[in-house]
Parts: sequence; C-alpha cells; structure tokens
Amino acid sequence: MVNFIDRLQAKSYEVRTRVLETCIKAGTGHVTSCMSCTEILVALYYGGLLRFDPEDETWQERDRFFLSKGQASPLLYTILADCGFYDVSQLEMFAQDNGMFGVHLQKSVPGVEITCGSLGQGFGMAAGVALAAKMNRENYLIYSLLGDGECYEGAIWETAMFASHNRLNNLVAIIDRNGLCVTDFTENIVALEPLDERWESFGWDVIRVNGHSLEELMLALGDARSRRSTRPLCVIADTVKGQGIDSLSNIPLWHGLAPKGTDAEKARQELKRRYENG
Amino acid sequence: MDNIALRDAFWNRIFEIAQTNTDIIVVSADMGAPALDQFRRYCPDQFVNVGIAEQNGLVLSAGMAMEGKHCFLYGIAPFVTFRCLEQIRVSCSLMDIPVTIVGVGVGFGYDESGPTHHLIEDIAIMRSMPNMTIHNVTDNVMAAAVAQESCGMKSANYVRLDRQVLPAVYEKDADFSTGFAVLREGEQGYIIGEGAMTHQALALAEALAERGISMGVIDMYRITCEEAAFVALVKDCDRLITIEEHFLAGGMGSYVLELLNDSGVMLPVKRLGLSHEKGYSYTYGGRHKIHEYYGIDMPTILAKAEDFMK
Repeated sequence: MVNFIDRLQAKSYEVRTRVLETCIKAGTGHVTSCMSCTEILVALYYGGLLRFDPEDETWQERDRFFLSKGQASPLLYTILADCGFYDVSQLEMFAQDNGMFGVHLQKSVPGVEITCGSLGQGFGMAAGVALAAKMNRENYLIYSLLGDGECYEGAIWETAMFASHNRLNNLVAIIDRNGLCVTDFTENIVALEPLDERWESFGWDVIRVNGHSLEELMLALGDARSRRSTRPLCVIADTVKGQGIDSLSNIPLWHGLAPKGTDAEKARQELKRRYENG
Repeated sequence: MDNIALRDAFWNRIFEIAQTNTDIIVVSADMGAPALDQFRRYCPDQFVNVGIAEQNGLVLSAGMAMEGKHCFLYGIAPFVTFRCLEQIRVSCSLMDIPVTIVGVGVGFGYDESGPTHHLIEDIAIMRSMPNMTIHNVTDNVMAAAVAQESCGMKSANYVRLDRQVLPAVYEKDADFSTGFAVLREGEQGYIIGEGAMTHQALALAEALAERGISMGVIDMYRITCEEAAFVALVKDCDRLITIEEHFLAGGMGSYVLELLNDSGVMLPVKRLGLSHEKGYSYTYGGRHKIHEYYGIDMPTILAKAEDFMK
C-alpha cells in the first residue's frame, strides 16, 4: 500500500508539473483549479478506480467520468495524454492555433465525455447517463467532479434530489472543496457550509476527506463498485486551490490564470521544492 | 383524426412507438395529458417525472441520449425552452445531442394565464441555434407525424404544440418532408402562417377572396424548411403576407424575409404579428381579445391586408 500510494504521489507531482508547463507555455489555463483536484483525478485514473481503455475510448463497459468543472481541462487533458488516448505532444498545442483543445473541456478530445465550461450541467448529464445505465441494466459507474463554487448553481440541487429519489447508486459526485470562487472565498460570498449536511439532506451518502490525501481518497472511493447503499455517493474533498504552489495558493485573483515570467519560474521552484520536501 | 388536443395526438403516437421501442423515454416536467396516462400505465419504466425542474430535465435527457435513449422533454412551452435555454444551447446545439423538446401552449394558448405563460419569442430564439429544428404543429395529423419523425432525428428538435384543439387541415397520409405546404392556391400571392395562425391565414384568405383579392396560403410548419424550394415557389408572387402569434423581431416573418433577401428576391412582404410597442399583455376574456390588443384579430388583419394589396 505504501509503495502504491508513493507511486500515486509521484504521479501527482509529474502531472502537476506538466499542467503547469502546459499552461505557462499557452499563457492561459486555470492552473489553480487543476492543482486542487490533481490527487482526485490521479486516484481515479491511476489508482485503478476508473475502468477505461485508451485503445477503445467508446468501450461500452467503461466507467464514465464527467468533469463538470470543465475549467480543470488541462489536468484531464494531461492525464488522458499520459494514459495513451493521444500523444503527449498535443499538450504543447494547448489553447493554440491548430491545437485540439482549449481552456474549457470539449468532447471532441479522445477520452472526454462532454463539452463543459458552463457550470452546473455536466453533473446533470452524468445523472442522465446513470439513469440510462440503470434502465439498460449496465454495471459501469458514473463519476462526476464538481467544483464547490459550482454548487451555487440551482440545477445542481435539482439533479441531486432527482438522483437520490431515483436511487442512482451508480453515480458518484466528487466535490473539489477548495473554498474559492473567482473573486472571493465561498464562505464570504454565500456560505456553502455545512456542505456535507446539505448533500446528506438531499439523500446522498456523504464522505468527507482530505482531497490531497491519496490514502483517504482511495479509501473513500475504493469500494464504489461494491457499495450496498441505494443512495448515490458524494465525496467532499477538502482541497487547496493552487495546492503545491504556495505563491498561487488560496489567492482569489489567481483564478483562471497561468503565471508568467518570474511568477512562472517561482511557481516551478515551489512545486519542485514541495515535492522534494514531501 | 378525432377532435382531440394536439398533445394527445402527439402522445398517442409516441405511446404506440414506445411499446416496441424501449429507448423512447418521456421526461415530464410535472406535465400530464390524457394520452400520457396510458403511457405511464403501460410503459412506466419509460416515463420519468423530474418535477418542476426543466434544467435538470434537459441535461438528464441529454445524458440519457448519450446512452442511446431518445427523450421527449415535456413541459409548458415557455418553461421547457427558456428556463433551460442555456442547457439547450450547450447540450443540444453545441454538443449536438438529440433531444426532443415538446412545449405545450405556444403563442397565447394559455390565454387566461397571462404573459408569464404566453410564448411569443421562442421562434426567434430557438431558430438562432444550430442543430435545432422547430416544428410549428398545425393539426393532429401533423402532430402524429412529427412524433414519429422525432424518434429518428439525429439532432435536437423543438415541437411547438398549441394548447387548444385546432381544426384538421391535412389528409391522413400527408407528406411533411418539405417543411412548408400550400394549403390554398391564389393568383396574387400567399399568406404564410405558422401553427394556430395558419388557420387564421386560411380565414383571412377566404375573407380577401370575398373582396376580390386572390391569395393562397402556405403553412410554414418547419423551420428550417426546404429553403430553395420555398423561394422558388414564392419568388414570382406579387405580394406575401406573413402572420404569426409571435413578436415580429426574429419570428417566422423574419425568417421569410431572410430567405427572400439572401436569394436576391425583392418582393413586397407585409408581416403581421406582435410589436414590441405593445409589449406584454394582461388581456383576459379569450385568445381573440389578446389578438385584438395586438392587432392580429380578423377585422384588423383584414383591413391591413386589404390596404397592403391595393
């Protein structure tokens, strides 16, 4: 287990580094939004949680992953490239002329299920897939990663109450609870807490974890396939926006930006130091 | 077909299809219809009630469509379009996922309910999006045909159903492939209608004929229609009149003007519809009273048409 977690941690560092370099080169991209959910996606894609096949991206039995917070696309694009859905060199072309992808998620990219950038929609589509899977008696799981700020969208709660009422226990919502929106902290804007109690009151099983602890994430998500509960599962992952790069962390104004010049070099050094110091 | 509401003619056909095609799903935003009662009874696994939650209904339908279902999202017309408009834009138009949006009560169908329930901007907005076909349903034969056609569509469509019973216009096996139909021939031009206003157009043509003015009638039942064929049909007319229960800005009349202009056809066209100056109406006492408020009642449009045809 220790070696396994160590390997995932090393992968998290590798992915973060590549996301940072991709966004620095492009001069754009939501760097801090990616950093907060890196361990979540690493757990899903490298921790053996998600079933997928890069050789057959529309494999019917694959688990579906819906990145509802579509602004974290550089992270997913990096991982999909690394997993073999397309060549890693494509990342060099992120948000550039003749590139295959831009700042927000698009379904034309191999391995990507949906186009997403408008918040509050990917989660509902995931619920639709979960409902169809039940109707079709198929056993794959549907994971959706939501931003915490996305939970301001009323449509999220329409879907949340629908999913529990219809016992969509094949649906897993993971909330990247980094506490920040574009302009301010969520608890200053309109308080989201107690977020776990709110999801529970909507009929979901809720587990709250440290979203940067791969051990906690693996424990929370590891038995998603064998759960006996009839309720859908919500994992609230407490995270830090910009995790791994101190100068970008927890600062609202870094939302949606890529560091440039000396800021970029500083970010590189901080990320490297953070990993070397464990 | 029996003198039933358009929605019942529509749902009766969907019920027939759904009994052998389990991928047909009705997603209701807390809306019913007599014809849906039997659907719920005999196809309960294919009926999903999302409650008064159109946004969830739309994305849920799109998600199901990704797994091979064809969903009919059903609700009161203004809410099943505008409340979830951005979801329609992203899922149906941008991602090109086929969902059939079925709205009941277009125009002033909910006459006594007031302007929150009137829908007089939807053609303009829905036709501005790619991958979206609009069906202006004219009678029960067409309602059933559109139901059937919707099941096989590869992109999204929006079915505009009048809330009220409309008289029969079409024969049982009518061809609905072109998107428009000539319902009456005339020598001086055509009056073009949509949905309930096609019936008004027929009445107007009759009244004009009594005054020695010979106008035909075209039912613009689908947007977009087969545009080249439409332009070829009307390009040599003296005059065209469009009539719609919709704001003039961007509606069916605008569509006709665009087709003519972009084809280089310069033809006098009189658009009859709702002006922004009149705004929204809190008029009660029946649909005809609302028509009077906006000046699309029969005496007014007859006078306007006569003046235009001079």
